[in-house]
Amino acid sequence: MAWLVVRLAISVSLFYTASAVFEDQVGKFDWRQQFIGKVRFALFDTHSQASKKLLVATDKNVFASLNSRTGDLFWRHVDKTGPEGHIDALLMYGQDAVVVAGNGRLLRSWETTVGGLKWETVLDTGSFQAAALVGVQDFVKYVAVLKKSAISLHDLSSGSQIWVENLPDSDTVQYQTIYSGGNGLVFVFGVVPNSHIVIVEYKIEDGEIMNKKSVEAAWMSSLESSCTVISSGILLCVDQITQSLYTLLLQSAEQTEMRQIHLQTLDLEVASGFQPVLTSTQPNPAQPPLSEFFLQLSPDHHILLQLKDGLIVPLRDFNPSYLAAFATSGERTVAAVMSPKNDTACSINLFSADTGRRHLDTTIIYHMDPNGGKPNRLYVHAFLKKDDSVGYRVMVQTEDLTLTFLQQPGRVVWMREEALADVVTMEMIDLPFTGTQAELEGEFGKKAAIQDGLLPMVLKRLSSQFILLQAWLAHLWKLFYDARKPRSSVKNEVNIDTLSRDEFNLQKMMVMVTASGKLFGIDSKSGTILWKQYLENIEPNSVFKLIVQRTTAHFPHPPQCTLLIKNKDTGLGNLYVFNPIFGKKSQISVPALPRPVLQTLLLPVIDQDYAKVLLLIDDQYKVTTFPSTKNILQQLQDTASSIFFYLVDSSQGKLSGFRLRKDLSTELIWEVVIPTEVQKIVAVKGKRANEHVHSQGRVMGDRSVLYKYLNPNLLAVITESTDTHHERSFVGIFLIDGVTGRIVHEAVQRKAKGPVHFVHSENWVVYVYWNSKFRRNEFSVLELFEGAELYNSTVFSSLDRPHPPQVLQQSYIFPAPISTLEATLTEKGITSRHLLVGLPSGNILSLPKMFLDPRRPEVVSEQSREENLIPYAPEMPIRDEWFINYNQTVSRVRGIHTAPSGLESTCLVVAYGLDIYQTRVFPSKQFDVLKDDYDYVLISSVLFGLFFATMISKRLAEVKLLNRAWR
Amino acid sequence: MKMRACVTALLLLGLRACLSQDVRHHEDDEEDEDVMFQTRAQVSGRALVPGVRTRDWISSARVLLDGDKHVGFIRDDGSFTVSDVPSGSYVLEISSPTYRFQPVRVDISSTGKMRARVVNYIRTSEVIRLPYPLQMRCVGLHSYFIPRETWVWSDFLMNPMVLMMVLPLLIILLLPKVFNPSDPEMRREMEQSMNMLNSNQELPDVSELMTKFFSAPKGHEKAGGGARGHRGGAPAARGGALRRKTRD
Repeated sequence: MAWLVVRLAISVSLFYTASAVFEDQVGKFDWRQQFIGKVRFALFDTHSQASKKLLVATDKNVFASLNSRTGDLFWRHVDKTGPEGHIDALLMYGQDAVVVAGNGRLLRSWETTVGGLKWETVLDTGSFQAAALVGVQDFVKYVAVLKKSAISLHDLSSGSQIWVENLPDSDTVQYQTIYSGGNGLVFVFGVVPNSHIVIVEYKIEDGEIMNKKSVEAAWMSSLESSCTVISSGILLCVDQITQSLYTLLLQSAEQTEMRQIHLQTLDLEVASGFQPVLTSTQPNPAQPPLSEFFLQLSPDHHILLQLKDGLIVPLRDFNPSYLAAFATSGERTVAAVMSPKNDTACSINLFSADTGRRHLDTTIIYHMDPNGGKPNRLYVHAFLKKDDSVGYRVMVQTEDLTLTFLQQPGRVVWMREEALADVVTMEMIDLPFTGTQAELEGEFGKKAAIQDGLLPMVLKRLSSQFILLQAWLAHLWKLFYDARKPRSSVKNEVNIDTLSRDEFNLQKMMVMVTASGKLFGIDSKSGTILWKQYLENIEPNSVFKLIVQRTTAHFPHPPQCTLLIKNKDTGLGNLYVFNPIFGKKSQISVPALPRPVLQTLLLPVIDQDYAKVLLLIDDQYKVTTFPSTKNILQQLQDTASSIFFYLVDSSQGKLSGFRLRKDLSTELIWEVVIPTEVQKIVAVKGKRANEHVHSQGRVMGDRSVLYKYLNPNLLAVITESTDTHHERSFVGIFLIDGVTGRIVHEAVQRKAKGPVHFVHSENWVVYVYWNSKFRRNEFSVLELFEGAELYNSTVFSSLDRPHPPQVLQQSYIFPAPISTLEATLTEKGITSRHLLVGLPSGNILSLPKMFLDPRRPEVVSEQSREENLIPYAPEMPIRDEWFINYNQTVSRVRGIHTAPSGLESTCLVVAYGLDIYQTRVFPSKQFDVLKDDYDYVLISSVLFGLFFATMISKRLAEVKLLNRAWR
Repeated sequence: MKMRACVTALLLLGLRACLSQDVRHHEDDEEDEDVMFQTRAQVSGRALVPGVRTRDWISSARVLLDGDKHVGFIRDDGSFTVSDVPSGSYVLEISSPTYRFQPVRVDISSTGKMRARVVNYIRTSEVIRLPYPLQMRCVGLHSYFIPRETWVWSDFLMNPMVLMMVLPLLIILLLPKVFNPSDPEMRREMEQSMNMLNSNQELPDVSELMTKFFSAPKGHEKAGGGARGHRGGAPAARGGALRRKTRD
């Protein structure tokens, strides 16, 4: 019976707190974009003419098939992160693709139409060198994988290993490449640096060594990219120091040393300091490669050469040229070369590989993005047209990871911004007001207006009302005009010029910073990229810090964001100031940062242009202010005594608190040392600056109030033990006051391990850890209360809090692994809070904070029922309805960003990882707006019904009265 | 390695600005090395969605061991293997955006022996064996959506408020039709029954009592106003309490 009561209580509470998605809301306010990462291998399906498949393998360990007409994903397989999922090679034959992954550990064959796995083979350990398809008598039957010390041959249809052979003298010889020309032999090339090349011939049938020879090559240090096989088995190498090409006939017993051809004899010269690159093509693995090849002499100089009767003949010199690539369609092989046209555009032309003659009318103009990087990879898809001429499309990858797919005469078919696969940090910025909105705001905003007197104010009011009326009429006219047009042509085109804040501030600008150093401005409503900016000279994957210095609220001052970046060359910090709405770099002079920056802090001190002040503290504890006007310095002097900050030195396990002096020097005031031999500091988090707490306390069952301990200076410090043994490891949490350095609370979770995810907000900290004893994830919640009385209800001071807070804690089992954790945030903090949990399966769970309440009772009492507390249950429920992103899973979710909207009930959520997903959540349902399914018909029909009923009954009553009077 | 990082502005007296930064820079290098020397096993099994062709669902599905520590893919025939798994205990789940599968706990001993059992997070040592190689059967579709409340006539009619209004209405309208009040016999009968009900004639009526009570201090002021004021006060106080309760 008691159980039933508990169940009932839970279901009742769920009814009030559950925030689920209705089926008709799908895609209404949410969107997802899927990414793949930096392309390492790309192959076009040339099997059939109509095929639209483009297979790609990327540095994010993603193997995917793209639709080459639209750029959308057909399917995508996301392997595990790190070297174990790293894709080493991608080969394609017919409808199948072979992928070597995990440093040559796994060999997989995929069916490319539906993306199903055909077979998977585990290979022996050993570092991967190369892989090649091997053909016998015009049929591709095998795949050969070369490792550091062994070579193995596998059947393509089943994956079974045909043979595996150890390579001779593998401890001295570095085997690097592999070649097969369809004549029943597999050649393996190895090199002993600055000594000789080793060539081993294997028989395909049984792996028997047919021949092994070594050739003198004292100039050789590495085979990769400087050697290739051309024509019917001729090894071709290039050397920069001797400025020569070397050739060697593979299958001749006589030739024992390489033939040298000086580049001078061809009137060529390799640019100094440039490692020349040879590129050849083997259209069919069962047949020898072509005798034509590209030689790259400098970063922008390619030359097409041909080997003919033992002589090397230049076919065509491409100077200047950025990129060159071969492509084959049917029997014909072509070469595409990208050359600069002018400062902003490149032209791509097609040449026939065997003659070097240019194909007519094949120019594609590629316009470079002025805010982007240089192109660095070219992938060509050649096809035969109806009139038997060769047509082609190209995919260009740039430094900033933009994939552009072009077709003749330069039309961009699609574009993908793959930098977004690795978002590091983001902010959501309010959109600016439109002119009319700003006009109205300005009337109330300006202080001067009050002094104007009554009459001008009335006039101003009338004029702004008139402007509003005008705007409304224009809007109506537009609606009417659009309604007449066919529906398809009326597109909600998002344009940077028409961007303006909506009624409830639901549409915002998402400023995203990516690991590659590219910034994006994305419209949160549609997901359209409105601006992008590639920052060169940035160390990729370094720490970025994005700070909003001025919001859009200070019209006519433009909003201002500052990004702290690390310069690639100097390794020092650098400030990049920009307008987050338009993405334009601001002209404001930026202070130079001569020393590494330890920390940044944004003060609520505002300069005359309404920009918040940014303090940067370097490793000598010197303070730099930005902006640093006189006004600011004056203000800082006045408030310096109340500015405190802390530093974390996790290598020494030291937390130290500093205070700002009037002359902007700093003073150490406290220090907490957490011994590094036992535990290390993993993460430190304060509370979010834009968080509001609506209620100061909680009303208990007996009508008394339990006040919350709302210390804005509280820091949550998470530590992990250095001992990783599962019996002795632990996770610690310290709550430290950032001003006084007082340890407010500390707790230790024994037999626990990281990674720890945690959220610190209001008066609570929620953290997740791995319980290594029971092998499960556990949530723990700490809540701090002042008690029944508030010490000083008007203002919180860390220096004047004599009573330590009461701390309540409770832990729960979470029946799933966790990727990331964040809490919802609303405008005024009235709405109940939910925790957003990113799961490795790609779902985002919205978990009511109500379940993580340390006051959940074990035994239900009258009072706890009064308070609406859910009885304690050790296991946290997970329901499908709580997944806010339904089937739109976010792969490898790495962070969740929450931002308040203008509606109190609504919180904007962006989850990013490999994909980006934007949605809105309503933790307490939409209490401040009419529901989507609000039944207007019913309510109006009831009203009309009542109205008519009254009319009719009135009439009837009159008739009845009349009749009675006559009686 | 520069481990110093940091940050936060902490201002007293109402001013506050908190930024935070992770200082998670460490890598568990040692642990990875340990793992390399352990025996590595292969976890294999078969996944089945009854009534759906495998090629229709496998391209969006993955096999996950303990989150995405180890990942496997599903073959054309529904079978899967996850390779290179060090010994230990793992929870294996099949993640598919459409179909739901029950997770399974897989124990791999240091000698490479496998055991599959039901996942129980509360009693972790409890063993309910499952067949190995794993047989993962789809247990249904994910139900991400909650249905909209639809408006049905029966719901409307069964609403207690509506019942409360409709039933008296029916009584008022129908009763006079059933008994004819103009019939003298019937009237007498009804009067009798009414007298039976109000047998205790001496007991004062509650409403009368109240009026008397409130109009007692009559003489100085207008009594009606005072009474009204008093009555109005009570609900306001109650409302205040309610508001307080709902604040949190």
